[in-house]
Amino acid sequence: MKIPLDLQTGGPSMKDYLSPNKCTWCDGCGDYGVWTATKRALVELGIHPWQVLLCFDVGCNGNGSDKIGGYRFHGLHGRVISFAAGAKLANPRLTVIASGGDGASFSEGIGHFVHGIRSNYPIVFVLHNNANYGLTTGQASAVTWQGQAMNGSPNGIPERTLQSMDFVFSLEPTFVARGFGGDIPQLTNILKAAIQHRGFAFVDILQACPTFNHFATHEWLLEHVYDVQEEGHDMSDFIKARMIAVDTSKRISTGILYQNEDVPDFYERLVSRQGSTVTPVEEVQKTDVENLMQEFV
Amino acid sequence: MRRIALKIVGAQGQGINSIGEVISKSLKRSGYCVFGYREYMSVIKGGHSSFQIDISDKLIQSTDSIVDVLVTVNHHGLEWNLDDVRDGGIIVHDTLDWEWTPKDAASLKKRRIILVELPVEQILRELNAGSILGNVVLTAFLWFLLGGDPEMLRTIVREQFGHKGEEIVQKNFACIDAAMKFHREHSDKNTIDLPDPNPQWKNHLLLTGSQAMGLGIVHAGCRTYFGYPMTPSSPLLSYIADKQNETGMVVKQAEDEITAAQMMSGAMFAGTRAITATSGGGFDLMTETISLNGLIENPSVFVLAQRPGPATGLPTWTAQGDLLLAVGSSHGEFPRLVMSVSDAQDCFALMPEAFNYAEEFQTPVIVMTDKQTAEAFWTEEPFDQIKAQVRRGRLVVNAKELKKIKSTDRYDPDAKDGISKRWLPGTDAANYCAQGDEHNADGSIDESAPNAKAQMEKRMRKMEKLKGVLPEPELFGAKDPELLIVSWGSNKGVILDVMKTLGMKTSKLGYLHYAYLWPLKTQRFETLAKKAKKVVLIECNNQGQLGMLLKQECGIGIDEKILKYDGRPFFYDELSSKLRTCVS
Repeated sequence: MKIPLDLQTGGPSMKDYLSPNKCTWCDGCGDYGVWTATKRALVELGIHPWQVLLCFDVGCNGNGSDKIGGYRFHGLHGRVISFAAGAKLANPRLTVIASGGDGASFSEGIGHFVHGIRSNYPIVFVLHNNANYGLTTGQASAVTWQGQAMNGSPNGIPERTLQSMDFVFSLEPTFVARGFGGDIPQLTNILKAAIQHRGFAFVDILQACPTFNHFATHEWLLEHVYDVQEEGHDMSDFIKARMIAVDTSKRISTGILYQNEDVPDFYERLVSRQGSTVTPVEEVQKTDVENLMQEFV
Repeated sequence: MRRIALKIVGAQGQGINSIGEVISKSLKRSGYCVFGYREYMSVIKGGHSSFQIDISDKLIQSTDSIVDVLVTVNHHGLEWNLDDVRDGGIIVHDTLDWEWTPKDAASLKKRRIILVELPVEQILRELNAGSILGNVVLTAFLWFLLGGDPEMLRTIVREQFGHKGEEIVQKNFACIDAAMKFHREHSDKNTIDLPDPNPQWKNHLLLTGSQAMGLGIVHAGCRTYFGYPMTPSSPLLSYIADKQNETGMVVKQAEDEITAAQMMSGAMFAGTRAITATSGGGFDLMTETISLNGLIENPSVFVLAQRPGPATGLPTWTAQGDLLLAVGSSHGEFPRLVMSVSDAQDCFALMPEAFNYAEEFQTPVIVMTDKQTAEAFWTEEPFDQIKAQVRRGRLVVNAKELKKIKSTDRYDPDAKDGISKRWLPGTDAANYCAQGDEHNADGSIDESAPNAKAQMEKRMRKMEKLKGVLPEPELFGAKDPELLIVSWGSNKGVILDVMKTLGMKTSKLGYLHYAYLWPLKTQRFETLAKKAKKVVLIECNNQGQLGMLLKQECGIGIDEKILKYDGRPFFYDELSSKLRTCVS
């Protein structure tokens, strides 16, 4: 794999995505891997920083909002998918990547996540899945293992763990992938495919939280993950994909689990936009309403 | 000025609105100014509802609480609405075997009320027509009671139902003829004497505030709408959605109000014009997003259509109880503009300004309306299409200028008036982060004390500038009023209508109308209030919220208050008598 660090080819380089700000994540945080893979995926696809909008939820992922190049947005907790979708519908030419943690996606903003998949907005959603609320110092999320003692639940959490992949597949997604923060080359390929996907691309990234997650550690994840692409997985097989996504009892599938490009994305479905060659961003101008007034005379 | 009022009552789902709309339009086309007012309950079928039409040959923008004609399509109107009819007025109904209570019978007699029993079912039977056409019989009968021209009614009916095919149209025409015959044979002495028509109204528009607002939004170059149903904002969603294939707008009914607000914000950030609308409860959910837009300096437009709260309150009624909410909503301090429409004209003309201020000051704008403005039918001159401007402030789109731009220009704390350059994702220029944490000039997170102070002051300088450029409240009536009325929103129509009649008693009557409510301009108010003998505050809320803001901002309290908070707007006769007390 060639990584254009600073080539004079006219295309973007890794340097273009550099930020002068220093990363503030803990040593060994999975966010480093996601951060690097995101830049690599964008560079390898030839996407310039000015062509991309990276949207961040609140959490450790959001602390990366000023550690990378590109147009960026860092919003409210749980709401990133909605903002990102609004931006994409206004300017479908933008590459829009939204990032959020498991707290944002499976608790605070679960409704947006459900409707994001259902609407099939043409955006990428990257789930920074470290199975806890890291930035608020280690409280349990809906995907923290049941029984784990966490900040705020010293007796171990009584709630059952949300079966996140079963839940996601129940929503008839068009793209589901799972990556691992410790495997940057694989993650790069996943993100490239997600960016190029026709509709809503869901990328679940398992990542270590060395400070607060003492159950699914980097080492534990390393021992359990395997690459489905290496085993010749058929990405169009919904039932098989759901099965290998949900069953993590012995080992954890990673790679592109499911993809269906036969479903039009949300923007494509809009009857009002059929035949339009420009974006809503380019259409802002005073508009004559003479015809619309006629029915009221 | 002569006013005539008609009221059609019945159960929801019985077609009250279609009778009201056909009559209103036929009257307007015949040369009358009409004002349509709807009351209904928060149910789909069965609730008692009404459509009232107030008519004049002169401008009329209010509702009388007493009507000349009551048409009731079920017996409930005969039980509940008798007191709404003026002495000597007419009641038209189709409950043929209705037995009046002795008390009602005596009252009707004493008040010389004329009862007209219209045998709708019998007429339909004779025509072999379905019960759905009963409303056409009622509409036509009412039309002939008003001395209307049958041809006009046929024209309007064809416009309304033509798309259903010629057979349906002809059936409607047969009902019109039968109603005309019945009127001629049984009721020709019962007519309502309208004033002479004035042709100026014929080419006016007859539309709701929501429709006018929809037109204003389209006119302003808004290309995306994100909403979630909640009365009384829903008719705006319906109108914009119904027109999307003509306008090419992106219309999205979101999963909740938070989503609608966020999607609107995202679309605005990307650089189009976008809007969302809701009512009190939905607005509560949007407030965190308003705060976000304050910090990332994102232009954003929120329509807050008021109904009485707290909680679900009176979902289908009107109020002005959310002014302090709009002014104080959301955590933290940031600049915002709160403005309010008052009638269909404002609904159209203020929308481009809402977007302009949002973009010029890169901050949230809250446009207030209420059920009264949103759902009343207004007779308005066709909207002026020359005046509106599209002003986008310091938005940079020129390629040469974009090349020179630096990341740190985005939130430059030294920018003039606190308004820094703004440029859009997707433009080939230096990048920045629209940062929801406190940030420095390029949107990098910065928690240092000097930066926090500088950025807060940058943003709040916009508020000072905004206050400077906003227009003072508009003064109607006397230039130097002895009695000064202060109000805002939908009260304007009824206040101006009342002033026309009170004006004969005092030439020193003035109305100060606030369209821009925050930041609050007080200079004109202070000058007028100091000179006036009496100042009266009129609001549809319990606390006199505009009065509270005025006192807060300039120290002048208004002691005399006419407040109403029962879900109904001020009625013409009601406000007239209350103001008369102030004049005398």
